[in-house]
Amino acid sequence: MPKKTYAAAFVDGINRAMMRDPDIRLIGTGFGGRFEGTLHRNYPSRIVDPPTSEGAMAALGTGAALTGMPTMVHFGTSAFMLEAWNQICHEAAVSHYMTSGDIDVPVTFHGFHGVRVGGAPQHSTSPQAMAANMPGLQVVLPSSPHDAKGLIMSALKSRNPTVFLNHTKLMGIEGEVPTRAYELPFGKLDIKRRGRDVTIVATSWMVQVSLQAAALLAEDGISAEVVDPRTAVPLDMKGIVRSVRKTGRLVCVDETPEMCSIASEVAAGVVQHGFGALKAPIERVCRAPTPTPFSPPLERFTVPQPETIADAARKTVGRGRRRGRRPRRTSA
Amino acid sequence: MAARLNGKLRLGLFERMLLIRRFEEMNIEIWPRHSYMGRQHLYIGHEAIAAAVGLATKRGDICNTTHRNHGYVLARGVDPGKALAEILGREGGTNGGRGGPWHISDKAHGFLTTSAQLGGGLALGVGAGFGLKGKRGKRVSVVHFGDGTMPEGLVYESFNMASVLALPVLFVCENNAIPERGGLLAVKHWDDVPRALSIHCEPPVDGNDAGAVYAVVDKALARIRRTGKPVFIQPNVKAWPGSHKAVPEYTTGVTDLAMAWDAKRAKGPNADWNRTDPVLRMARVLLRAKQATRGDIEAVDAKIGRRLKAALAYAEASPFPKPRSALRGVYA
Repeated sequence: MPKKTYAAAFVDGINRAMMRDPDIRLIGTGFGGRFEGTLHRNYPSRIVDPPTSEGAMAALGTGAALTGMPTMVHFGTSAFMLEAWNQICHEAAVSHYMTSGDIDVPVTFHGFHGVRVGGAPQHSTSPQAMAANMPGLQVVLPSSPHDAKGLIMSALKSRNPTVFLNHTKLMGIEGEVPTRAYELPFGKLDIKRRGRDVTIVATSWMVQVSLQAAALLAEDGISAEVVDPRTAVPLDMKGIVRSVRKTGRLVCVDETPEMCSIASEVAAGVVQHGFGALKAPIERVCRAPTPTPFSPPLERFTVPQPETIADAARKTVGRGRRRGRRPRRTSA
Repeated sequence: MAARLNGKLRLGLFERMLLIRRFEEMNIEIWPRHSYMGRQHLYIGHEAIAAAVGLATKRGDICNTTHRNHGYVLARGVDPGKALAEILGREGGTNGGRGGPWHISDKAHGFLTTSAQLGGGLALGVGAGFGLKGKRGKRVSVVHFGDGTMPEGLVYESFNMASVLALPVLFVCENNAIPERGGLLAVKHWDDVPRALSIHCEPPVDGNDAGAVYAVVDKALARIRRTGKPVFIQPNVKAWPGSHKAVPEYTTGVTDLAMAWDAKRAKGPNADWNRTDPVLRMARVLLRAKQATRGDIEAVDAKIGRRLKAALAYAEASPFPKPRSALRGVYA
């Protein structure tokens, strides 16, 4: 299978989707680096380069979607999505429901999220947990070139509004990507590494960081399973519980701050639906509850690192083996 | 506008402008060894505006800047060592390293916070005007923003708010009209917008002419202090060719002050820029009016060189903050 960068695979997915559906329009440019040229050559009249007006951009995509035209709106850094939050959360997210299903809203809101090094407090936002808290939105968080292509093709086919977040650090990574068109279903997780001792659930860039943690753990003889839900909404809770039943231990990793994070949702779901399977308290490894500082050592401290994830996993495993006790009820 | 200014004023402007220019040149020079600084938004080419505002405003006036914030803070007297330490994310920086290159803030000099969101600082500046209104001392809130901000919806809301509530705000629209970003706003003149919202607008001035900018800023500030109402000014700047580079690159070379008195030195692809360069232009005005000699100008440059050498030594010697300190100070 040919190798591609994440950015190339993402653009390839958009290209395939636009080829398949001549109605799709793109609002905003600069999401695919040098690979984006293909789209501009193939579909010059279907791409709009709007003035910097995030609220109006989101409404442009949503309003067009209400007429039946599928759109993708690109905001650049996802921090700027918050300037369009009302259109995303209170227009796009609610219209299908509010019309008792008369209207579909096939719009995809795309932005780069996450701590990208040097983004400082205003350019490091990860809005996935906030979006997940708005019923009506689908939240997609790819972690590999293969997934980016398949998931964007699904998003651009979906009849529902989708918040699609790519992590800046993922854009350059390489992986195997089929040349053909393919879609990946929402709400179905992918096991990125199989293991026996502990389940690590992570999304987006944190999957890559968790795979590094799993490699560290392997050196200690701990076999970690890295589970990637791929979409936060819908969330494949059944699949996650299945993995936890196998390993008995869970570490939830998230680049959003812990309070009301995807990690917290996963932890709560496992407690509710798989409590009996837990051999140790659940660990959460999330972004620190602070604005993101600029200074490199501070920034590094506030986001999960392979070592911090591995430590959390060791803690769950150590407790389970050393004490052999049932988990405390307050642990989640 | 052929403003006749006395020599002391002109020298004051020149000194501030050259300080900014040399400071930004230093940023480019040290970038390779501090590449974690990330994307730099330099103020080269806009120096006349910050210098004019720095000189015309009073202590107690409040300033909200653009993301190219280095120039403003230096022009209003923030210590270059502390500013550079902030850009380098050090403990000794103006913000303790948490803000970085786009968020230099210094309460003592009227920079309460620095937003790097388009329209963010403009709106906060209107809020600052509300905070100052009716207080003793007739203080003014100065807001700097670029033409690129004009398509943001927040701009209209803020203009309108300042007008309706009659707030002491000076709107400085630094129009660098970067050609490839044409089609931003469907108006013929930027001031069509504030004018329609009943804000007094001064005619646009040549933003590369520090004397002209000073005259209009001075006039506008006097009007605001007298009437308590907002004023809009528009210095038009020739965009510096390096403005949009992701990594700082001195596309026009290190400024050779001798070009001010030896026109033949300005040649090659940058000759055009060198002719309109606001710093060189002010030097030429000083020489022509016999308000300074070459020796005076070189002495100013040498003094700035010594100051910046000390600033660099201070910034590079300042340690990074302790990682764990990132957790402190989220709440007052």
